[in-house]
This record gives sequence, C-alpha cells and structure tokens, in this order.
Amino acid sequence: MAPLRVWIAVAVGGCALIALAYLPPRGAAPRGPRFATYSPEPTAARRRAQAVAKEWRETDASLRLLEDRQHVKWDSSRVGPAIIFRGPTLPPTAVRTVEAVADSMWRALGLGETKVRAALVIALERAPGSAPGPIPDQNGVAFLTPDSTDRTTCMAFLPANHFWTAVLLGHPPRHFEPDWLARWFQSGLGPCAYYAAYGTPSRSVRSWLAARNWDVALYLGTHGIAGERFLSVNLLGDPRYSWYWDGIYSLSPSTVACLAGRLDGCRSAVLYGADDDARIAVPEIVRLEQGWWRKQHLLPGERFLGDVARDVGRDRFQSFWTSSLPVDTALAAALRQPVGEWTKQWERRFIQPIRLGAAAPLGATLLALLLAAVAVSAVALAASRRQVR
Amino acid sequence: MFRRFGLLLILGVLACPLLGQDTLINRLRIRSDSLLRTWQQAVAIANLADSLERERATIGRDTIAVGALRIITNASPLPVRQAAALAWPAIDSLYGSAAADLAERPYFIRAVDPDSNARRAVLHVGLEVPWDLDLRSTTTLLLTTVPIAPPDRALATWLTGVLRPSIHPREDVGGVYLEFVTAPSQAARGCFMGDIASCIDALGLGDTNHQLERWYPSAPERRAVVTGSFADFFDHGGSAPALRECVAGRDASCTALLRSLPADVLPKPLSDAARVSLVRDALRLGGQDAYRRLLRDPEAAIADRLAEAAGVSVDSLVAGWRNAALAARPAPVELPWWAIGVALGWVTVFAGCGLSSSRWRL
Repeated sequence: MAPLRVWIAVAVGGCALIALAYLPPRGAAPRGPRFATYSPEPTAARRRAQAVAKEWRETDASLRLLEDRQHVKWDSSRVGPAIIFRGPTLPPTAVRTVEAVADSMWRALGLGETKVRAALVIALERAPGSAPGPIPDQNGVAFLTPDSTDRTTCMAFLPANHFWTAVLLGHPPRHFEPDWLARWFQSGLGPCAYYAAYGTPSRSVRSWLAARNWDVALYLGTHGIAGERFLSVNLLGDPRYSWYWDGIYSLSPSTVACLAGRLDGCRSAVLYGADDDARIAVPEIVRLEQGWWRKQHLLPGERFLGDVARDVGRDRFQSFWTSSLPVDTALAAALRQPVGEWTKQWERRFIQPIRLGAAAPLGATLLALLLAAVAVSAVALAASRRQVR
Repeated sequence: MFRRFGLLLILGVLACPLLGQDTLINRLRIRSDSLLRTWQQAVAIANLADSLERERATIGRDTIAVGALRIITNASPLPVRQAAALAWPAIDSLYGSAAADLAERPYFIRAVDPDSNARRAVLHVGLEVPWDLDLRSTTTLLLTTVPIAPPDRALATWLTGVLRPSIHPREDVGGVYLEFVTAPSQAARGCFMGDIASCIDALGLGDTNHQLERWYPSAPERRAVVTGSFADFFDHGGSAPALRECVAGRDASCTALLRSLPADVLPKPLSDAARVSLVRDALRLGGQDAYRRLLRDPEAAIADRLAEAAGVSVDSLVAGWRNAALAARPAPVELPWWAIGVALGWVTVFAGCGLSSSRWRL
C-alpha cells in the first residue's frame, strides 16, 4: 500500500508543477486583445434605393438590347459577330483589332456564315456620374435570344470592367496574353453561340434550357469561364478547406449526388427543368447574375452541352437540339447511352468523386488502432506482472 | 379592289411583330424612365434617412473628446475615455496635423450587453461593441478603426489598405527582419545585406518593369514562388503540365506560369507590413505635416511622395528603415544553464523509477 501512496503523491505533485508552469498568476492581463464588433447595416431606405437601382439596370439592359437589335449593322466582309460598343469611343485601329480577334474566335468555334447571326454589345466602363442613373453593373452579362420579332439575330450584352476597358482602349497590362481577349469574347457569346451553330432549339429543349436559365449551354468552345484553368468546379477551391464543403453543401442534393458519382443524381442534375413546361418569355432575355456558378444544377454545367456536342458529333447533336421528343429521350438517343451514365463519366474528367457521409480518415483510424493496441498491451503486461499469494 | 384589300391585310399581319416590338420598346422606355425617377427619389430619401440615422445615433449619447478624437457613445462600463487617452498620442504622432481633421469625423460606438441572447436594435451607424471589453482591447479597437479619410488610390494600392497606428511597433519592425532572412527573393536578401537599391526594388518603389526578374532572378526562387503560392491555382487544365515541369525543375515553365499572372498578383518579396513600417518611419521623420505632404500629390511616384513626407531622400529613408529593422532582430531563445541540469535530473528520476520498480504485489 505504501508504494501506491508514493505514486499518487508523485502524480499530484506533477500536476501541481504543470499548473505552476502554465497557469497565469491571478490578475495577469490576457495575451491578445479580445473584441467582437458588429458592422452597420444599410437603412431600409438605402436598401430600397439599391433594389430600385437593380430593377432599373435590368430594364435598361433589356431596352438597350432590343434597341440595338433594331439598329445592328451587319458587315458582309466579316464572318464573326457584329460588335457594338457603348461608352467611350474607341479609336478605329482598336475597333479593327477587336473585330479581327472576334472573327478568329468565331472561326475557332467552327462557325462561318450562320443562319442565326450574333451581335456582341460591349459596354465600356464609364466614370461614375458621367451618365444619369445608377452606376452600371459591370458583371451583368445578358443575352437576347431570337424570337418572333427577329428570328435570325441573337444579342449578347458583355459589360467590360476596368480591366477589359483598359485592354480595349489599347492599354493592356504588361503581362497580357493575346488569346485572353478571344477567350473573353467566346465566354461572352453564351447561348448565342449555340443559336449560331445549331439554329433555334425545339420547344422542349428551349423550355428545358429556359427553366434552368441556360446554365448547361453557356460555353460552346473547349475552354471554361476564362480558359482551361477556370471551370466553375475549380471555384469551389480545395477539399482540404472548410469553405470547399460549405460550397458543396450549398448546392442542390442532386448536384452533390452527381459530384459523388451517383447515376441517379447525375440524371436528375442534367434533367432539372425538363419536366416543367416553362413559359418562354417574349422577348427572352437570359441574365447571368454575379456568382451564377454557385447556383448551378450541374458542375461544371457551363460546358455540358458543348462537351456533348463534341462527343456525339454535329449531326447527332443537331437531331437532339431540334427534336420534339422529351429532353431525356432526345438526349439519351444522341448520347446512345443513359443520360446519368454519360454524365457520371463526364463529371470524372473534372473532379474526383467526393465521399459523402461520415468516414474516418486513414490517419485517424491507424492512430485509434495503435492506441487500442497500446492499451491492450499495457493491460496484458500488467496482468503478467500480477502475483497472487 | 378585293385583291388590294388582301394585300393590305397581309402587310398588316407581317408588320404586327415589328409593331409589337416597338410597343414593347416604348413600354420598356417608359418603365426605365419611371424607375430612374423613382431611383432618384429613393436615393434622396436614403440620404436623408442615413443623415437622420446619424443624428439619432448622437441623441442621448455622450461625446467624449480627447485631443481631436470625438467619440459618441452611450453610458456604459466600457472604458472609452481612458482608451482614447491612450490611443490619442499614437494617432497624433502618426497623422500629425492631419489628425486635427478627426474632430469632424467622430467614432460612433454603441456599447451593448455582452450576452448574445440580449435583444439589440439594428445597427445603422458606427460600431457595436460589448461593454465588458477591457482597456487594452478598447484601445486596440480605437487604433484599428481610426475614422481618418482613406488615402488616394495609388497610395492605397501600394499599401494594400489604410494606414493605421501600430499596436505593437517593436514586433512589427521585428517582423520585417524575419522577412529579410526568410523571403525566397534575392531582392530581400540584397536588402538584408545592405544594398539599398535592392531594398527599393523589394519595396516596389523603383522601376516596376521586369518585376519578376528583379524580385526573383534565380530559378530556385521562381520555383519556390510557383510551388509555394500557386500550386493549387496552376494544378488545373492547361497549366497542370507546365506546373509539373516546373516542380521537376524546368525553369522555363516556372517563368511562363508566373508571366501568365497579372502583374499585381506576383507575391511581393517584402509584405505590406514592411511597406507600412516604411511609411510610419517617413511620417516620424517628417514631423507634424508629414502626412499632409504624403497625400499632397496623388500623381507623383510613391518614392517621391515618401521622400517629400520624410524630408529626406528616399535612399536615406530606406537606409534608416533597414537599420531599424536590423536593430529589431528578435532575440533568440536562450536556454538558461540550469535548465539543462533540470532536464537531466528529470530524466534520471524517471529512469530510476522505471528501473527500480519491483513486481507488483497484491
């Protein structure tokens, strides 16, 4: 019994020593400053002014697109989209450069003379207060698709922010790469590129795309938002960080299921909106809000139909695009396999299937096994040293 | 007659869509004009509401004046006056005569119950702070939220933010020393070794052409920048093969990857904290009007503005700043001689306990 008391005394003494070393003396100041402040919120009147400004921007963009469609001038010497500039006047040499880049981008997409023509309205940045009304939104890309009033013109509205305005005015930054401008134009064409390449879609396809705000037909080319490096799936970040998972779980369940490689999830993610008989507005103006990639039903959906078109070939995609069959049937017929299966394989090109549900990491599992082994060994050792008289 | 009527009918039907579009455009134009008028009214009302909200924030509140600081706050145990008395000398010494403008730009501080369950009114003006903050934290709060007018765009871009008084001046300068000796950049090392031109380069005060070659002239440095700062960014799509080549040691790939970045994204050899400490030195040397002189000509080069503020050449300013950073070298951890004896003693005690343990008896 006496040795046990000694051990207990040693343990208590050890604890006291540790406490002496680590606990601060009474009255000592904490190490770091501690405060949490709350920032002010805008007043209700300010929020209303912002909401009216947003509504005005949308109405103004629609109005400008419709007006520009009436006055667009087609240059027969060019193959690419017509370019209309708004804001500061560009020097003629800069206009010619931009048109040349747009033409080469158009050819790179495999487009030439097309039945539906595209026009790109580029709004250059203006100094605040230089025009009446709220400051224009430099992120609000919009498209006016062909309709009964003009069946052969598709308009794309592309606001140029500070960076692109400087480039267009002939002041690019030092490290500017020549192909950046072509990529920007390509990403700005959106649905107009599909209209130019494949004509007007069938009612079922158009209704499906309208229901999901054309999120699977934003890029016809091989590049992503701004080249191969930027796909919407890359914007999630790195799985090591918590915001990646915050981003994942802010998506719809079918989108997450598809990211995990589940067939049903992929099918639902692709066919979202296909069952609805969405009312197609006239004029149909498709607007991409800032941060549209956070609301996608399929990642990276912006290139989905572009990849389908490349994989199945022009004829099969054309038959899907103009098919009067339901979208799931028409798409499966073009792909020659179930939609979910093809999409699952396609998804794997961009992202490794994520793991859903609780799963202990390998390191933690090994550590737990090691600790368990140590505990069992300690007990076994103690039992072997035990003597019963 | 009948044929002519039919022709007119056909033309009318064909023109209908165009007419419809005109109507739509007119409708949109009217709506746009109406929204514009509504927006103008809404902005005027919002400005009035904001102004009233600022007035309301002062009603029934105390105004605490220390130097040129004006703090409008509600009665609470928050040690605002004492904190202001501590903060004012630091603010005054940084901004000099420009600090007098703070009399027109008060702090609005609403001290609230620290209990997060307590009901609170929506905050539209100023800061909301729990009233149980101690003096040190309240002083830090005042120093980090000085309501000074923001600097011009060029200076704010170079500084990457707003200049505030230092809370830990000694540690801040010590941090610059650590950057000298750890940054993977020849410019930073050259500065450490006493080359003032390298210091000017590393601080982004000199010629900004060929910045990549000036900041990171050797292949290992460029590889370190790519793998250290941009590995995730480049590990996608078309740049992934170039990243692999760079990691494998191909300098041309590293250089090409870094060149594809916009110029202002290239990591600076010396951080923003180093730039801020240089500006603080310039203001200290320049006296009362130094901050006003710094802001006087937003079009001038930053180096010239700093020299103008400090009243000395930029070379002298940077040399003095470098010397201060070297003098603030953090003290190395020193092990007292007796600690070795204590450590060995504990090892002996535990070893003795283990070796002398007898078999257990129950």
